[in-house]
Amino acid sequence: MNVLKRLAVALSLPVLCLAALSSRAADTVNVYTIWPENWARPMFQEFEKATGIKVNFVRFSSGEALARVIAEKGNPRVDVLFGGPVETHSAGIKEGIFESYKPPSFAKLPARFKHPDGQWVAIADDPLVFMTNAKFLQENKLKAPASWNDLLNPAYKNMLQMADARTSGTAVTRIFSIVEVNGRDENKAFEYMKKLRPNVQLYTKSGGGGTLPVGLGQAGGGIFFIVDALDTKAKGYDVVISFPKEGIGTAAEAIALIKGAKNPELGRKLIDWATSPAMQNTFATHKINFLPAHPDVKVEPSLAEVLKDAKIFPIDADYAGANRKRMVERWIAEVLNP
Amino acid sequence: MASVAAPEGPARGLAWARQDPALSAAVLALWLLLGLFVVFPLAMLAARVFWDGGHFSVAGIGAILTDRHQVQAFWNSLLLATLVGLLGTFLGFVFAFTVARGGLPRWVVTAIDGAVLLPLISPPFTTAIAFVFSFGPRGLITYELLGIKGFTIYGMGSTLFSEALTYFPIAYLALRPILAAIDSNIEGMAMSLGASRWRVFRTVTMPLCIPGLANSFLLLFAASLADFATPLILAGNAFPVLPTQAFLQITGMFDLRGGAVLSLALLVPAMAVFVLQRYWVSQRFYVTVTGKGAGTAPFESVAPGVRWVLVAACVAVTVVIAYLYALLLYASLVMAFGANHALTLRHYGVIFTEGLKAIKDTLVIAGLSMPLGGLYGVLLGYLVARKAFPGRRTMEVTSMVNYALPGTIVGIAYLIAFNDPPIELAGTALVIIACYVFRYGPTGIRTTIALLQQIDRSLEEASESLGAASGTTFRRITLPLILPAFFAGLGVVFIRSMTAISATIFLVSINWTLITVKILENMTELSLGPAAAFSVLVIAIVFVVIGAISWGLRRMRAPGAEPVTSLLGG
Repeated sequence: MNVLKRLAVALSLPVLCLAALSSRAADTVNVYTIWPENWARPMFQEFEKATGIKVNFVRFSSGEALARVIAEKGNPRVDVLFGGPVETHSAGIKEGIFESYKPPSFAKLPARFKHPDGQWVAIADDPLVFMTNAKFLQENKLKAPASWNDLLNPAYKNMLQMADARTSGTAVTRIFSIVEVNGRDENKAFEYMKKLRPNVQLYTKSGGGGTLPVGLGQAGGGIFFIVDALDTKAKGYDVVISFPKEGIGTAAEAIALIKGAKNPELGRKLIDWATSPAMQNTFATHKINFLPAHPDVKVEPSLAEVLKDAKIFPIDADYAGANRKRMVERWIAEVLNP
Repeated sequence: MASVAAPEGPARGLAWARQDPALSAAVLALWLLLGLFVVFPLAMLAARVFWDGGHFSVAGIGAILTDRHQVQAFWNSLLLATLVGLLGTFLGFVFAFTVARGGLPRWVVTAIDGAVLLPLISPPFTTAIAFVFSFGPRGLITYELLGIKGFTIYGMGSTLFSEALTYFPIAYLALRPILAAIDSNIEGMAMSLGASRWRVFRTVTMPLCIPGLANSFLLLFAASLADFATPLILAGNAFPVLPTQAFLQITGMFDLRGGAVLSLALLVPAMAVFVLQRYWVSQRFYVTVTGKGAGTAPFESVAPGVRWVLVAACVAVTVVIAYLYALLLYASLVMAFGANHALTLRHYGVIFTEGLKAIKDTLVIAGLSMPLGGLYGVLLGYLVARKAFPGRRTMEVTSMVNYALPGTIVGIAYLIAFNDPPIELAGTALVIIACYVFRYGPTGIRTTIALLQQIDRSLEEASESLGAASGTTFRRITLPLILPAFFAGLGVVFIRSMTAISATIFLVSINWTLITVKILENMTELSLGPAAAFSVLVIAIVFVVIGAISWGLRRMRAPGAEPVTSLLGG
């Protein structure tokens, strides 16, 4: 017997066996979630409890998830894209990766929580906040920032962390917030961002990337989504959450059905459930600090308390959609790499 | 690391195939595998980049390549890789020299070996994260210990330092056997002729090491060029590098094409280094093994004062490494690092419940990749080094492609190529295993070739002239001699299967996931505890498996065979 031949067979046999190893169950819906696993998992468990449908999921950041769905366009691997700031979904529409679907809650949702054709539908709302390290404030004898201009204070020099607009929806929402509070005077808004630049220690890849450094005091503060900020606080880090008096933006979190999904019926059931009070009522139980998108769901009292005096405005989806790319490019050229 | 001895006589027509059917079957099988898992994915990627709606197009590619910031990132990458190569090689040489010539007690050498292995076998992000905690604006060392305020950690300095610390073990492992192989009698002779210790070092020891130094510089250069995890955390905004830019272009700007173009730009220096190493350095190894042995009492080539400086330097670096990993272990054992330092085993509870699937999947994938990668490396290395068949050189170069390319580009290429019929592998474990085998198997190939260089062909020729078929010769003569290369290949594929992320982050699926992806996921969720616990687990598993492999290696090494030059140096 020939050893070379045997070796060649040994090489290829397990390879062939493995091809048969992948398996898929029948009443399981496959999902890419952009929500972190510790929030997505309890939601999907609730869904299984309510409907008996199992959710098979894997978590990616918004950019990775979108890149995968686009790459898999010809032969989709999942049925639903769950969560993520709505501009991720807007970017996906151009690629033709979603199937329009209007769940029963569609009519009840305000216009900014749905795509007119149902390419995506909102499942939550997520305002931005200022988050600062309590010890840092105390050492520098500062009050929690209450205005966008407070962040320009030289005491913050090289001590702020916030997200990078190339990778993070949080950053894009932040830029549009600044444009909005400057009365959509873009030049004025970019003047402000350039002035803020020396105080920024790092633009992080993900929206929540700076929360741990702020919690640990590696950074003094930053601008984050409220879910991430409250999560940092819940973990035991001594941070202060505040809002600028000029106002700050909020972004919807959306869900969408993938075009060519293998289990479209199950996918629609998940969307029905996620856009209804059935899911959004459980945010509070699982200590997930998103604001519900559905008007019938009440904001959890302690979350409402945090938001009591905050001036929060939605980002105009049409304006943002039309100007997003240009704004990000301008940010890269003028703020990130001047 | 070694050149290929050209087999005598050109192969004429198909005669080679008729003469040796076993050989032709093996060559054919390997070409099929290489075509499927190396050529095909890259061709699909190139099609995605250059074909726009059915016709060839280079629109937009020029814009990306001439963009001021991308050009800057390109030069930054080269600068960083050069500096990492220099610093890492220097560190590696200091360690190798101290261990080989310092006359250290055995337990100290063992301790150094263990500490030096740590950075090589740990999952990505871990050193970088420990760095931030230690040297950040509020770092344990910069702030708590030294009281420096507002220290900036993000930038080239810390990226360089972290990468050098992560990769210098490659230089150490590559240089140590070379120094050990230099017969110290030669140094002794020089000294007895009246040369000072410094002069001996400068004119005898150093020149003999030059090829080794050049080789380890190139290895470190390539490793730094492809690294994306460290700059992602430490480079900050003022010092963009190309692998990170490519990743951001794909996942941030949703620009697959732009990202692919940037990765292809990275291919130019990566390939240049590979060619340099393959055709220049590999032919300049000096052999000083005389067969007589250097004697038991090593020559006192280091002055006592110098020796203490060297030992102190090694101990200092070892302590820094040990400290970084102690920090990681500590972070896995407290409730929330930096906020609540109550001891707990909770994070280990989390990884063995919610993370259990990832652990099982990773072990299955690494467990299958390991033997396949080892076999593949030995078989291909053997054929290329010892057999004459058409396209031998092409096969060798093709087998190195996935190894030389940055991980991001390999991952994206696999994702594009294997998602759709006819070859639909996305979502299976096979696509991840194939990625590991063809990306990390080449280390085994090169170790095999290097080892076969040191074995005289006359052994095999004697067997064949006595009438044994090529298969029998391979099994009875060659196989026992190249077993060390097989084990080295096993080790590298296993370590990488447990710790790699840059390519496979694109290949995990709802069916199969990996521990490294979980670590990244936990980092972004601020769950530092589970991330640290996962890392500690990976390190523990790898240590056990590598220990078992080393044990096997010691037991099975054929008497008289040269030691494997380095397990991980390739």
